[in-house]
Amino acid sequence: MKQHLGRQSGVQSVDVSLIDGKVEIVPKDNGRIDPRQLLKAVYDSGVSVAEMDVTAQGKIRSVASGNLVLDVSPNQSFAIASNEFSKELEPLADSPTGVSVRGQLYRKSGGKKKPKLDPSVPLTLLVLEIQKKE
Amino acid sequence: MVRRAALLALMCFAIAPVSHAQIKHIEMRVEGMT
Repeated sequence: MKQHLGRQSGVQSVDVSLIDGKVEIVPKDNGRIDPRQLLKAVYDSGVSVAEMDVTAQGKIRSVASGNLVLDVSPNQSFAIASNEFSKELEPLADSPTGVSVRGQLYRKSGGKKKPKLDPSVPLTLLVLEIQKKE
Repeated sequence: MVRRAALLALMCFAIAPVSHAQIKHIEMRVEGMT
């Protein structure tokens, strides 16, 4: 699995802890990393993902539906799930202020079934911590 | 000199938002690992 993940584009290093079942991935500086590809790579190696947390920097944008998205690169954004932290991010929507957040991008819904990872549907980020506003 | 500094500042301003926006770290909890 470590080799499988290490081969994905934008991955700098992979650290696997067998004891607590944790996998840490450090992306390359200014490299584009696709969480969907990482999820797929893990499932392809015969292991299932229970949770995926990310720390990302970007800008908050509001979309037509009134929901917020986090733009992490010109072609990569995550829909933000509504919670107490998303309310805190609302005033930053469409402003030049950047934010650094930690959040849950994926959680296994039950069963061993491989998740549907439709590239046209943005992954939803459940913000767990707002680390920095700048 | 002033023109060069102004150009440098403009370039930094243009590049900064792109270089700052990105995924910094990913952590997964996995099941079935041996």
